[in-house]
Amino acid sequence: MLLNQFLILSAVLFAIGVYGVIARRNGVAVLMSIELILNAVNINLVAFSAMTGTLAGQVFALFVIAIAAAEVGVGLAIVLVIYRNRRSIDLDEVDLMRG
Amino acid sequence: MSFPATASAVLAVGDAVPFRSPALDWHALAPEAVLVATAVVVLLVDLFTAERNKWLASTLSGLGLLGALVPVITLAVDGNTRSLFGGAYVVDDFALVMKALFLVAGYVTILLSTDYIGEGDYWEGEYYLLVVSSVLGMTLMASARDLITIFVALELLSIPAYLLAGWRKRELTGNEAGMKYYLMGVFASAVMLYGMSLVYGGTGTTVLAGIGRQVAGSFGATPVAALGIVFVLVGFGFKVSAVPFHNWAPDTYEGAPTPITAFLSVASKAAGFVAILQLIFVAFYGRDEVYGPMMWVLAALTMTVGNLIALRQTNVVRLFAYSSVAQAGFILAPLAVAGDSPAVADDAIRAVVSYLLIYTAMNLGAFAVILAVSRKTRSGELDSWGGLFEYAPGLTVLMTAFLFALAGIPPLGGWFAKFQVFKAVLGAGGASAYILAVVVAVNSVIALYYYANLARLMWFQSVPDGDRSPVRVPAAINLALALCVAFTVATGFFPGLVGHFGDAATDLVAVALRR
Amino acid sequence: MTAAALASEGGASAGGFPLLTSCVVLPAVGALATALVSRRRPESSRLVATIFAVATAALTVAVLVAFESGEAGFQMVERATWIRDLDVSWHLGVDGISVFLVVLTGVLFPLAMLGAPPHHDDKPFHAWLLLLEAGCIGVFLALDLFLFFVMFEIVLVPMYFLISGWGYANRRYAAMKFFLYTAFGSAFMLVGLVATAVLHARGTGGDLTFDLVTIASDQGAIAPVTARWLFLAFAIAFAIKVPLFPVHTWLPDAHTEAPTAGSVILAGVMLKLGTYGFLRFGLYLFPEASAYFAPLLVTLGVIGILYGAVVATMQKDLKRLVAYSSVAHLGFIALGTFSLTTQGLQGSVLQMVNHGISTGALFLLVGMIYERRHTRQIAELRGLQKAAPVMAGVFTVVMLSSIGLPGLNGFVGEFLILLGSFLTRRWWAVVGAIGVILASLYLLWAYQRVFHGEPDEANAGFAEMRVREGLVMAPLVALIVFLGVYPKPVLDRIQPSVEALVAHVEDHSDYTEPPVATEGQRARSAAPAEEGGD
Repeated sequence: MLLNQFLILSAVLFAIGVYGVIARRNGVAVLMSIELILNAVNINLVAFSAMTGTLAGQVFALFVIAIAAAEVGVGLAIVLVIYRNRRSIDLDEVDLMRG
Repeated sequence: MSFPATASAVLAVGDAVPFRSPALDWHALAPEAVLVATAVVVLLVDLFTAERNKWLASTLSGLGLLGALVPVITLAVDGNTRSLFGGAYVVDDFALVMKALFLVAGYVTILLSTDYIGEGDYWEGEYYLLVVSSVLGMTLMASARDLITIFVALELLSIPAYLLAGWRKRELTGNEAGMKYYLMGVFASAVMLYGMSLVYGGTGTTVLAGIGRQVAGSFGATPVAALGIVFVLVGFGFKVSAVPFHNWAPDTYEGAPTPITAFLSVASKAAGFVAILQLIFVAFYGRDEVYGPMMWVLAALTMTVGNLIALRQTNVVRLFAYSSVAQAGFILAPLAVAGDSPAVADDAIRAVVSYLLIYTAMNLGAFAVILAVSRKTRSGELDSWGGLFEYAPGLTVLMTAFLFALAGIPPLGGWFAKFQVFKAVLGAGGASAYILAVVVAVNSVIALYYYANLARLMWFQSVPDGDRSPVRVPAAINLALALCVAFTVATGFFPGLVGHFGDAATDLVAVALRR
Repeated sequence: MTAAALASEGGASAGGFPLLTSCVVLPAVGALATALVSRRRPESSRLVATIFAVATAALTVAVLVAFESGEAGFQMVERATWIRDLDVSWHLGVDGISVFLVVLTGVLFPLAMLGAPPHHDDKPFHAWLLLLEAGCIGVFLALDLFLFFVMFEIVLVPMYFLISGWGYANRRYAAMKFFLYTAFGSAFMLVGLVATAVLHARGTGGDLTFDLVTIASDQGAIAPVTARWLFLAFAIAFAIKVPLFPVHTWLPDAHTEAPTAGSVILAGVMLKLGTYGFLRFGLYLFPEASAYFAPLLVTLGVIGILYGAVVATMQKDLKRLVAYSSVAHLGFIALGTFSLTTQGLQGSVLQMVNHGISTGALFLLVGMIYERRHTRQIAELRGLQKAAPVMAGVFTVVMLSSIGLPGLNGFVGEFLILLGSFLTRRWWAVVGAIGVILASLYLLWAYQRVFHGEPDEANAGFAEMRVREGLVMAPLVALIVFLGVYPKPVLDRIQPSVEALVAHVEDHSDYTEPPVATEGQRARSAAPAEEGGD
């Protein structure tokens, strides 16, 4: 089954991405993990689009790609600001407020 | 599965039909068009004005938000439900009520920001541009009835909000607020997207109404449907800061500029609820055994955990952060029973919408007082609120009103909101509904403790530093306070006002059940 | 006073003038008016507040004058739609049960205001007090479940501020405890009342309504087992407010730490919100469940009587002693209410009024002693009788009324309660009667320690009662004597409503009132047995 292979690939990517978000403490690495999840989504969408014979999935994937670019732009900007202020992008250190 | 063959067939169809521009209903799109124009004008004005004229940005964006209310009102008077883009974008009474809420909340946010941003050394033009864009995303969300539209609206409202949360970019707490909000938000929307892709795969459509038909049918019974529904709703659980997805909220609220905290805790949260309502009532209504228990657990956890942590806060903004987490729990409660019957579904949506409207006024009002007071005290600590009554009796009375309204003490607005929640939950009946009602009841009392405690500080504690000079409240904040207190008190005495909007909003359910 | 003139006109034509609404609205307007007076003129804020309180008192007396005795139903009913969708209405009315409580509220507030002025921040004090009055009168008049709840909640906030703003040393703890206990109860009541309305609408197949009279008359609409649960939800709220034994612990703290006026209102009026609630939203709304749970509540009442009396005996603080005596007295009222007999109910309604008068007066007197000596410790007071004979005399009358001496008001109420409860709950009544003996023990003992003997140095300069204080106490003492000697006009007005209520309970449950209770002659034959235990 061709579809299943796409879905399995996307599920694996999704799992790796989630693991990365939770386990990695480097800001840029976390951003990359989120990109992995989004790419898992894109594979899913395109595979389903082909399977169901509807175009909506491919359109959706295009939107995801475009918006993900904007998102990462903002994310990198925030990481950059943090790097300027504290010369480190270790997210564990970004924990001043508690309670 | 003849996968490549179908794919090429799809492409072939795409080639064969020449592109024709769809007929657009510009009246239906007018509120968003006004907002886009406002955003562009604010951007240009910021580029071409001198530093001392930057106040123009705030004035223009405020006017733009009010201007966008005009088409909302004409659409409401017109009264027809308009459906655009093959059902992906619907302007019905529910959408209009929520758009009005977002526009007014955005306007109040701008009122609150004017002096805060003007006096701080922050960038004014961009700030208002981002607020207007975020409100634009919210108004889109109110009409979005398609997975793609929901996703675009969500990102349009969130991305500016990430930037606004980290606006105080030279402060480490500001960086932290932006970073946490960004990471949690992006992660949540990624998870949500994965869920959406599964739902799309099962149904072959992204239009919510179409998904609704499939979910009610054979697809609904498959495990992948349950997985998709849960993932999508978890994504919005982050947005509304439901426990256990609430970790970002207190730190972001504390680190963000206070007007943005007010904005996030009200408008952004309401947008999350709008999406949840649309998804539950239009798309997932047939699978209440999936979202019902999930919402039950989320509601009970959210209000209990939020309240218990709020009890031991010493910073007033963090206190309100946790209180707003707890309030989200109250708003989630009716959704736990929404699938019980069409009548209960009506009650549930009425409860959620009324709660959102009243909560917006109460919470924005409370934040307006916090802003006004912190202009003098320069501190967020609860102790700095001691003896406020001695030097700012007017603000004290207003804050007391907002606090007791949030606690749900009649005759201030909040009671009606709580009451609607009880009515929806108890109307469903059954053991789990009754238990949830008791959880809500007990939590209302816990919340009372910290609200009353803050009221006590203001009235009876002595002034910590002995400085009794009066608080100078800028005109913009006064206007915001007047709007909020008028709405809070009026809805308490005449709940029919909000009830009317709640009734209007039930047409979302009507659509869902008509299929 | 123009408001009083208006009131007398309203009494003449009760149909036209919204007399009951005025009783609720006038103090609320007064609160607003007081709040608008300049902060630098405390005396004028006091004047404005007093004028409004006295005008309200006049209005409540006008209600009493306009009240038709011999009728069981609700009178002077006013109804206006409030929230159309939910059929919540501004529905007010009085019957024999509520009318005296309304008058008591109207009379007690100006006396508390005049008898115990605050030491600081006159303006907010009086504004909160008037708002409290509006809420209290609203609770007694509301005939809509929702309106009742709203009023019941409104009462909380001013009392919280009164205690925590003008109370004594430990006021914050006491205020918060009071607030949370009561709010906890109200939360259950809110669940209960929404469920009642929803289930009623479902049972009758009609539209949702919160009208008390409608729901109470459709008794079949809610299954009996469900109704018992709903009753419990209401009962938790009322039991906390009364307060019945195990949930009474907020009361001693709140009473002791509250300012004098707060204690007077707390004991005199606010505790009655609970006992009144039991009558109106227990017996009337859930007759079957009330009969079912009567043994439990009677037992809690009797435990309260004994517990309150025993603990009061051990108190070293005079105010705390009076506070615990309230626990005992309220236990009596619960005993009378859930005896479900005409006499018992009549007695408990009368005793609500009596307790309001005599305990209110006691708190005023304790407040006066504290003003002079700045202590409430019994051990530090001695021989006040020598220094202030008039005050001692007034104290004696009030104390004897609280004990239940024949000829004073307390006796009539307690006697009727014991009589009524003896018919249905013999042994509970006997045990309750022991409470009367204990009451005379702790009160007389306290009196002896405080007023008898030779005053020592600290107490020698104890000032006699002032004219203002005398004028405040005079109406209360007059009422104590009047109700003790000639309670008939009051009982005549209470009786029809109470009989109708008992009949309502009989109709909707398998309880039947013992015949002896409805026949006067045989009732009297039961009386000696009662006095034997007294």
